[in-house]
Amino acid sequence: MEPSGNEFLRGTLKTIVLKLLTERGRMYGYEITQSVKERTQGEVILTFGALYPVLHKLQQEGLLITESVEVDGRLRKYYTLTPRGNEAAIQKVSDFERFVEVMKHLLQPAPALSLGQ
Amino acid sequence: MEKLSPQQIDTLHRHLLRNGTDEALLEELLDHLACEVEHYMWIGLPFETALEKVQLEASPKAFKYLRKTYQIELTLSEKQLQQADLDDIVFQFRNKAYGAYDLRQEYRYSLLMAMLMTVGLVMMMMSLLASFSAGKWNYLSVWGAIWTAGLICFSYALGTCVRQNIQQKYRIAR
Repeated sequence: MEPSGNEFLRGTLKTIVLKLLTERGRMYGYEITQSVKERTQGEVILTFGALYPVLHKLQQEGLLITESVEVDGRLRKYYTLTPRGNEAAIQKVSDFERFVEVMKHLLQPAPALSLGQ
Repeated sequence: MEKLSPQQIDTLHRHLLRNGTDEALLEELLDHLACEVEHYMWIGLPFETALEKVQLEASPKAFKYLRKTYQIELTLSEKQLQQADLDDIVFQFRNKAYGAYDLRQEYRYSLLMAMLMTVGLVMMMMSLLASFSAGKWNYLSVWGAIWTAGLICFSYALGTCVRQNIQQKYRIAR
Protein backbone atom coordinates (compact mmCIF):
# COMPACT_ATOMS: atom_id res chain seq x y z
CA MET A 1 0.00 0.00 0.00
CA GLU A 2 1.21 3.52 -0.70
CA PRO A 3 2.25 5.86 2.10
CA SER A 4 -1.23 7.38 2.10
CA GLY A 5 -2.48 3.92 3.02
CA ASN A 6 -0.44 4.12 6.20
CA GLU A 7 -2.56 7.03 7.26
CA PHE A 8 -5.69 4.87 7.17
CA LEU A 9 -3.84 2.05 8.83
CA ARG A 10 -2.87 4.05 11.89
CA GLY A 11 -6.43 4.30 13.16
CA THR A 12 -7.21 0.64 12.56
CA LEU A 13 -4.07 -0.91 13.99
CA LYS A 14 -5.66 -1.66 17.36
CA THR A 15 -8.59 -3.32 15.65
CA ILE A 16 -6.29 -5.44 13.52
CA VAL A 17 -4.20 -6.58 16.48
CA LEU A 18 -7.22 -7.37 18.64
CA LYS A 19 -8.94 -9.24 15.83
CA LEU A 20 -5.88 -11.37 15.10
CA LEU A 21 -5.53 -12.23 18.75
CA THR A 22 -9.16 -13.36 19.02
CA GLU A 23 -8.49 -15.79 16.20
CA ARG A 24 -5.05 -17.04 17.12
CA GLY A 25 -5.10 -16.78 20.90
CA ARG A 26 -1.44 -16.19 21.64
CA MET A 27 0.95 -14.30 19.39
CA TYR A 28 4.26 -12.47 19.48
CA GLY A 29 5.14 -9.28 17.65
CA TYR A 30 6.91 -10.71 14.63
CA GLU A 31 4.20 -13.29 14.20
CA ILE A 32 1.58 -10.52 14.05
CA THR A 33 3.46 -8.62 11.32
CA GLN A 34 3.90 -11.83 9.33
CA SER A 35 0.28 -12.88 9.56
CA VAL A 36 -0.89 -9.40 8.53
CA LYS A 37 1.49 -9.57 5.57
CA GLU A 38 0.28 -13.02 4.54
CA ARG A 39 -3.40 -12.26 4.82
CA THR A 40 -3.16 -9.09 2.78
CA GLN A 41 -0.75 -10.62 0.25
CA GLY A 42 1.89 -8.09 1.18
CA GLU A 43 -0.41 -5.09 0.76
CA VAL A 44 -0.19 -4.12 4.41
CA ILE A 45 3.25 -4.15 6.00
CA LEU A 46 3.34 -3.43 9.71
CA THR A 47 6.65 -1.97 10.82
CA PHE A 48 7.92 -2.57 14.33
CA GLY A 49 7.73 1.16 14.86
CA ALA A 50 3.98 1.08 14.44
CA LEU A 51 3.21 -2.26 16.05
CA TYR A 52 4.98 -2.33 19.41
CA PRO A 53 3.72 1.02 20.71
CA VAL A 54 0.16 -0.18 20.04
CA LEU A 55 0.80 -3.52 21.75
CA HIS A 56 2.20 -1.79 24.82
CA LYS A 57 -0.68 0.63 24.86
CA LEU A 58 -3.23 -2.19 24.74
CA GLN A 59 -1.38 -3.90 27.54
CA GLN A 60 -1.41 -0.72 29.60
CA GLU A 61 -5.15 -0.43 29.04
CA GLY A 62 -5.56 -3.95 30.42
CA LEU A 63 -6.75 -5.49 27.17
CA LEU A 64 -3.72 -7.73 26.75
CA ILE A 65 -1.49 -9.68 29.07
CA THR A 66 1.99 -10.86 28.24
CA GLU A 67 4.21 -13.75 29.08
CA SER A 68 7.87 -14.08 28.21
CA VAL A 69 9.23 -17.41 27.05
CA GLU A 70 12.84 -18.14 26.27
CA VAL A 71 13.25 -19.25 22.67
CA ASP A 72 16.64 -19.94 21.06
CA GLY A 73 18.54 -17.98 23.70
CA ARG A 74 16.36 -14.86 23.58
CA LEU A 75 13.16 -13.79 25.27
CA ARG A 76 9.99 -13.92 23.26
CA LYS A 77 7.01 -11.96 24.52
CA TYR A 78 3.63 -13.49 23.81
CA TYR A 79 0.43 -11.45 23.96
CA THR A 80 -2.96 -12.84 24.96
CA LEU A 81 -6.33 -11.12 25.24
CA THR A 82 -7.87 -10.56 28.64
CA PRO A 83 -11.68 -11.00 28.99
CA ARG A 84 -11.96 -7.23 28.68
CA GLY A 85 -9.76 -7.39 25.60
CA ASN A 86 -12.11 -9.92 24.07
CA GLU A 87 -15.06 -7.60 24.52
CA ALA A 88 -13.09 -4.69 23.11
CA ALA A 89 -12.11 -6.77 20.09
CA ILE A 90 -15.69 -7.65 19.26
CA GLN A 91 -16.77 -4.04 19.76
CA LYS A 92 -13.97 -2.60 17.64
CA VAL A 93 -14.44 -5.03 14.78
CA SER A 94 -18.17 -4.34 14.56
CA ASP A 95 -17.53 -0.60 14.79
CA PHE A 96 -15.04 -0.84 11.98
CA GLU A 97 -17.35 -2.90 9.79
CA ARG A 98 -20.02 -0.27 10.23
CA PHE A 99 -17.50 2.40 9.33
CA VAL A 100 -16.51 0.58 6.14
CA GLU A 101 -20.20 0.25 5.18
CA VAL A 102 -20.76 3.95 5.70
CA MET A 103 -17.63 4.83 3.75
CA LYS A 104 -18.81 2.67 0.86
CA HIS A 105 -22.02 4.68 0.67
CA LEU A 106 -20.02 7.85 0.79
CA LEU A 107 -17.64 6.86 -1.98
CA GLN A 108 -20.28 5.50 -4.35
CA PRO A 109 -21.48 8.02 -6.90
CA ALA A 110 -25.10 8.81 -6.13
CA PRO A 111 -27.16 7.73 -9.18
CA ALA A 112 -30.27 9.64 -8.14
CA LEU A 113 -28.43 12.94 -8.25
CA SER A 114 -26.98 12.43 -11.73
CA LEU A 115 -30.50 11.70 -13.03
CA GLY A 116 -31.72 14.96 -11.63
CA GLN A 117 -29.37 17.03 -13.73
CA MET B 1 15.13 -23.35 10.07
CA GLU B 2 18.47 -21.65 10.65
CA LYS B 3 19.05 -20.49 14.23
CA LEU B 4 21.22 -17.54 15.24
CA SER B 5 24.20 -18.06 17.48
CA PRO B 6 24.62 -15.98 20.69
CA GLN B 7 27.32 -13.91 18.95
CA GLN B 8 25.01 -13.15 16.06
CA ILE B 9 22.23 -12.15 18.44
CA ASP B 10 24.72 -9.94 20.22
CA THR B 11 25.41 -8.08 16.97
CA LEU B 12 21.72 -7.27 16.73
CA HIS B 13 21.67 -6.27 20.39
CA ARG B 14 24.44 -3.77 19.75
CA HIS B 15 22.58 -2.40 16.76
CA LEU B 16 19.54 -1.79 18.96
CA LEU B 17 21.60 -0.11 21.66
CA ARG B 18 23.35 2.10 19.12
CA ASN B 19 19.97 3.35 18.02
CA GLY B 20 18.95 4.22 21.55
CA THR B 21 16.23 1.64 22.03
CA ASP B 22 14.07 2.06 25.10
CA GLU B 23 14.59 -0.61 27.73
CA ALA B 24 10.90 -1.49 27.69
CA LEU B 25 11.21 -2.52 24.05
CA LEU B 26 14.69 -3.98 23.93
CA GLU B 27 14.03 -7.71 24.43
CA GLU B 28 11.06 -7.65 22.12
CA LEU B 29 12.81 -5.83 19.30
CA LEU B 30 15.78 -8.13 19.62
CA ASP B 31 13.51 -11.09 19.06
CA HIS B 32 11.79 -9.25 16.21
CA LEU B 33 15.01 -8.47 14.36
CA ALA B 34 16.38 -11.94 15.03
CA CYS B 35 13.24 -13.42 13.48
CA GLU B 36 13.71 -11.22 10.43
CA VAL B 37 17.33 -12.27 10.04
CA GLU B 38 16.33 -15.91 10.39
CA HIS B 39 13.67 -15.40 7.78
CA TYR B 40 16.18 -14.02 5.27
CA MET B 41 18.59 -16.84 6.07
CA TRP B 42 15.80 -19.33 5.55
CA ILE B 43 15.19 -18.05 2.03
CA GLY B 44 18.87 -18.62 1.33
CA LEU B 45 20.89 -15.53 2.21
CA PRO B 46 24.13 -15.89 4.22
CA PHE B 47 24.10 -14.37 7.69
CA GLU B 48 26.09 -11.23 6.79
CA THR B 49 23.78 -10.28 3.94
CA ALA B 50 20.68 -11.00 6.01
CA LEU B 51 22.04 -8.91 8.86
CA GLU B 52 22.87 -6.05 6.54
CA LYS B 53 19.39 -6.13 5.05
CA VAL B 54 17.72 -6.10 8.46
CA GLN B 55 19.96 -3.32 9.75
CA LEU B 56 19.18 -1.30 6.66
CA GLU B 57 15.46 -1.71 7.29
CA ALA B 58 15.81 -0.97 11.01
CA SER B 59 17.37 2.39 10.20
CA PRO B 60 17.75 5.35 12.56
CA LYS B 61 14.69 6.78 10.83
CA ALA B 62 12.65 3.69 11.69
CA PHE B 63 13.75 3.98 15.32
CA LYS B 64 12.85 7.65 15.35
CA TYR B 65 9.37 6.76 14.14
CA LEU B 66 9.16 4.09 16.83
CA ARG B 67 10.06 6.57 19.56
CA LYS B 68 7.55 9.07 18.25
CA THR B 69 4.64 6.65 18.09
CA TYR B 70 5.60 5.15 21.43
CA GLN B 71 5.46 8.55 23.08
CA ILE B 72 2.14 9.37 21.48
CA GLU B 73 0.57 6.05 22.47
CA LEU B 74 1.96 5.76 25.96
CA THR B 75 1.88 9.28 27.25
CA LEU B 76 0.43 9.77 30.74
CA SER B 77 -3.36 9.64 30.90
CA GLU B 78 -5.44 12.50 32.33
CA LYS B 79 -5.74 10.71 35.63
CA GLN B 80 -2.03 9.96 35.88
CA LEU B 81 -1.20 13.54 34.94
CA GLN B 82 -3.19 14.84 37.88
CA GLN B 83 -1.14 12.77 40.29
CA ALA B 84 2.20 13.23 38.56
CA ASP B 85 4.73 15.78 39.75
CA LEU B 86 7.08 17.68 37.46
CA ASP B 87 9.79 15.02 37.80
CA ASP B 88 7.41 12.34 36.54
CA ILE B 89 6.59 14.43 33.50
CA VAL B 90 10.19 15.33 32.73
CA PHE B 91 11.36 11.73 33.15
CA GLN B 92 8.42 10.12 31.42
CA PHE B 93 10.46 8.75 28.53
CA ARG B 94 13.89 9.06 30.07
CA ASN B 95 15.97 6.53 31.89
CA LYS B 96 14.85 6.71 35.51
CA ALA B 97 17.36 4.11 36.63
CA TYR B 98 20.29 6.29 35.62
CA GLY B 99 20.14 8.22 38.89
CA ALA B 100 19.04 11.76 38.08
CA TYR B 101 15.43 10.90 38.82
CA ASP B 102 16.29 9.64 42.30
CA LEU B 103 18.46 12.67 42.99
CA ARG B 104 15.61 14.98 42.09
CA GLN B 105 13.07 13.00 44.06
CA GLU B 106 15.21 13.13 47.18
CA TYR B 107 16.38 16.69 46.74
CA ARG B 108 14.02 18.31 49.26
CA TYR B 109 14.77 15.71 51.88
CA SER B 110 18.53 15.98 51.40
CA LEU B 111 18.29 19.75 51.66
CA LEU B 112 16.38 19.49 54.92
CA MET B 113 18.94 17.10 56.39
CA ALA B 114 21.80 19.36 55.31
CA MET B 115 20.08 22.31 56.99
CA LEU B 116 19.60 20.34 60.20
CA MET B 117 23.27 19.37 60.19
CA THR B 118 24.40 22.94 59.67
CA VAL B 119 22.12 24.35 62.36
CA GLY B 120 23.22 21.63 64.76
CA LEU B 121 26.89 22.28 64.11
CA VAL B 122 26.49 26.05 64.54
CA MET B 123 24.65 25.55 67.83
CA MET B 124 27.40 23.28 69.11
CA MET B 125 30.11 25.72 68.06
CA MET B 126 28.37 28.68 69.65
CA SER B 127 27.97 26.91 72.97
CA LEU B 128 31.59 25.75 72.86
CA LEU B 129 32.86 29.27 72.23
CA ALA B 130 30.59 30.70 74.91
CA SER B 131 31.79 28.24 77.53
CA PHE B 132 35.42 28.82 76.53
CA SER B 133 35.12 32.54 77.09
CA ALA B 134 33.27 31.96 80.36
CA GLY B 135 35.95 29.48 81.42
CA LYS B 136 33.57 26.88 82.81
CA TRP B 137 31.27 24.15 81.48
CA ASN B 138 27.85 23.30 82.83
CA TYR B 139 25.32 21.03 81.11
CA LEU B 140 22.49 22.65 83.06
CA SER B 141 23.18 26.16 81.79
CA VAL B 142 21.57 27.73 78.68
CA TRP B 143 24.69 27.01 76.59
CA GLY B 144 24.68 23.44 77.80
CA ALA B 145 21.10 23.03 76.62
CA ILE B 146 21.98 24.55 73.24
CA TRP B 147 24.93 22.16 72.95
CA THR B 148 22.69 19.16 73.64
CA ALA B 149 20.04 20.33 71.17
CA GLY B 150 22.68 20.93 68.49
CA LEU B 151 24.18 17.53 69.09
CA ILE B 152 20.80 15.85 68.76
CA CYS B 153 20.02 17.76 65.53
CA PHE B 154 23.38 16.93 64.02
CA SER B 155 23.44 13.28 64.89
CA TYR B 156 19.81 12.76 63.80
CA ALA B 157 20.53 14.27 60.35
CA LEU B 158 23.80 12.39 59.98
CA GLY B 159 22.16 9.14 61.02
CA THR B 160 19.33 9.42 58.48
CA CYS B 161 21.79 10.33 55.72
CA VAL B 162 23.93 7.29 56.43
CA ARG B 163 20.88 5.06 56.63
CA GLN B 164 19.57 6.35 53.30
CA ASN B 165 22.96 5.83 51.71
CA ILE B 166 23.05 2.22 52.82
CA GLN B 167 19.51 1.63 51.62
CA GLN B 168 20.36 3.08 48.24
CA LYS B 169 23.40 0.87 47.85
CA TYR B 170 21.31 -2.13 48.75
CA ARG B 171 18.69 -1.12 46.18
CA ILE B 172 21.25 -0.76 43.41
CA ALA B 173 22.91 -4.05 44.31
CA ARG B 174 19.55 -5.74 44.02
